[in-house]
Amino acid sequence: METGGLWMLAAVGIGMVATGLPAWIVLIGVSLAFATGGIAAGIFDASFVAAIYPRLIGLLENDLLQALPLYVLMGVIIARTPLAETLFGAARSVLAPTRRAAPLAGLSLGVLLAPMCGSVGAGVAMFSRTLHPHLAAAGLREERSMALVCVVSTLGVVVPPSLVLILLGDAMMRAHTEAAHIAGLNDRIVNTQDVFHAALVPAGIFVALCAVVIAWQARGIREATPVRPTRAQWITAAAATLMLASLLAGVALGYLYAVEAAATGGLLLAIHGFATRTLRREHLGAVLHDTLSLTGALFALLIAANVFTLVERAFGTDRWLAQLFSGLGVNAVLAAGLGAIAVCALVLDAFEMIFVVIPLVAPALLTRVPDAPWVAVLVLLILQASFLVPPFGYAVMMARSRLGTRVPTPALMRAMLPFLAAQLAVLLLALAFPGLLWRESASLAPSTPPADAQTLEQMLDRIQGEPADDAPGK
Amino acid sequence: MRALDRAVAALERAAAWLVLPLSLLLFIQWPLRDAVQAGSREANDLAQILFALYVSVAVTAATRARSHLAADLLAHGYGAAWNARLARAAQLLVAIPAAAFVLFAGAGATWTSIVQLERFPETVDPGYFMIRFAVMVLAALVLVQGVLDLVMPRRGAH
Repeated sequence: METGGLWMLAAVGIGMVATGLPAWIVLIGVSLAFATGGIAAGIFDASFVAAIYPRLIGLLENDLLQALPLYVLMGVIIARTPLAETLFGAARSVLAPTRRAAPLAGLSLGVLLAPMCGSVGAGVAMFSRTLHPHLAAAGLREERSMALVCVVSTLGVVVPPSLVLILLGDAMMRAHTEAAHIAGLNDRIVNTQDVFHAALVPAGIFVALCAVVIAWQARGIREATPVRPTRAQWITAAAATLMLASLLAGVALGYLYAVEAAATGGLLLAIHGFATRTLRREHLGAVLHDTLSLTGALFALLIAANVFTLVERAFGTDRWLAQLFSGLGVNAVLAAGLGAIAVCALVLDAFEMIFVVIPLVAPALLTRVPDAPWVAVLVLLILQASFLVPPFGYAVMMARSRLGTRVPTPALMRAMLPFLAAQLAVLLLALAFPGLLWRESASLAPSTPPADAQTLEQMLDRIQGEPADDAPGK
Repeated sequence: MRALDRAVAALERAAAWLVLPLSLLLFIQWPLRDAVQAGSREANDLAQILFALYVSVAVTAATRARSHLAADLLAHGYGAAWNARLARAAQLLVAIPAAAFVLFAGAGATWTSIVQLERFPETVDPGYFMIRFAVMVLAALVLVQGVLDLVMPRRGAH
């Protein structure tokens, strides 16, 4: 019954779509149902469920997760104050000589703010409000404007040090540890900083390609001369850009911890809001409430995913997948693992992917492809592309709902195609040239050969005789 | 029940402010570590306690604000009565039993930790028992909210 985890995943997908219930409730419900079935069928004993309590403790004492409410706070403040509009206006004025100022300013705004937004959904909400009206007013066709909103909203998936990257880094670290345990690898375990570094070059190439696509798509539009920002707006824009860029660079380059940068950013944004009276005392309650409830939504998902992966491990699906992958070539394993991630990402948000799908697929993938930073970057690029494919890409569905537009899918597909081509080009580059990634340490280079099938089977036999801390007692 | 509902709302309002001292503590870690070279670990441990208490209330706050992520590809076409029935069934069959189980599984260890005033294992700073306590608060609030949603369902609740 090692395939139990896959059936659980299918049940979660069906349960979420069919009931519309919150994802965390569906995840826990499916986990409880399968755990009850597994215990009743004698597949594992009941003692393993006691591991839920220490797992919850582990979540609450995780240093990295402290960044979660802080990133949410930054996103909420940015969404509730006119800072995004100020930044956009200033960037548009600077880029006016290009005659494609509005869309290029939109891309710049995405690079700066998307990593701070928290999630793709939050990004779509903010950029639909701040960017779309300006793009429409600048004469960009609606489907192109919508495509750009979708693309910039997903930049947080690849541009460090976004919350998505922090959490994926954490998930990859766990997956790498598990893979090293299963396959007996001696590599240094990947950490969040490694994933930040590895993502920098592909993210830079993607942004540069997007700028080319935007310049091409916006040819022929006649933008009115943008209104020049006031002196105060110039100062605000310059200071905010400097602050955000310094924080992003500080974390990406390892001078600052992600939580410290997020705390600094949140505090400075709040102080700026109060100083400029764009964040009034009467709005503070709403900001704090939004931050609390959005943090709760993400944390509930994290809890549910932990319960889900506990039950999935009890069925032995992780070991079964590792064994299945051991019989395949490296290319086939990559294709199968990344393909599965791409299909799931068509309907799941980045957080659901990171908390549910990655813990299931990544350990098995890493037993055969132990270059964890490379795999992390490939996963990020696949995730971002999946969010952008019409009509079911998550960012596309969210943008449709937010903008209330009825852009036909073929038109949107045509507008999105150059961006998807850019995405594919970066993916192929990363696939073909793993050396393209910036690695902090040579020990994270792909030095260890992947475990062969026979070795892996021996390892699995040995591990199955030595249950992990929270593995079932049987 | 209304009094309980008001108590949860008041707790939610109070907990929402914790993000500000949390930000401050995590911010000062940086100068404490690099300039003062003292106190950063204490600031981190205190921040850890605030973080644990914050998220212990946040999950229920998300339920009350209907902020949880959901895919309503089909469900947006269902009637309000059917959605309400589904939501109540989810509380009865999933949220309440899961929260009750966590309370049952963790009560003993949490009580021992509180009685012993358990300290942080790495720094030996006081207060680690608050992390365990926060798990109990989290589960208790999910359970209470589940019961509230069953007894006095909110309009359009999910």
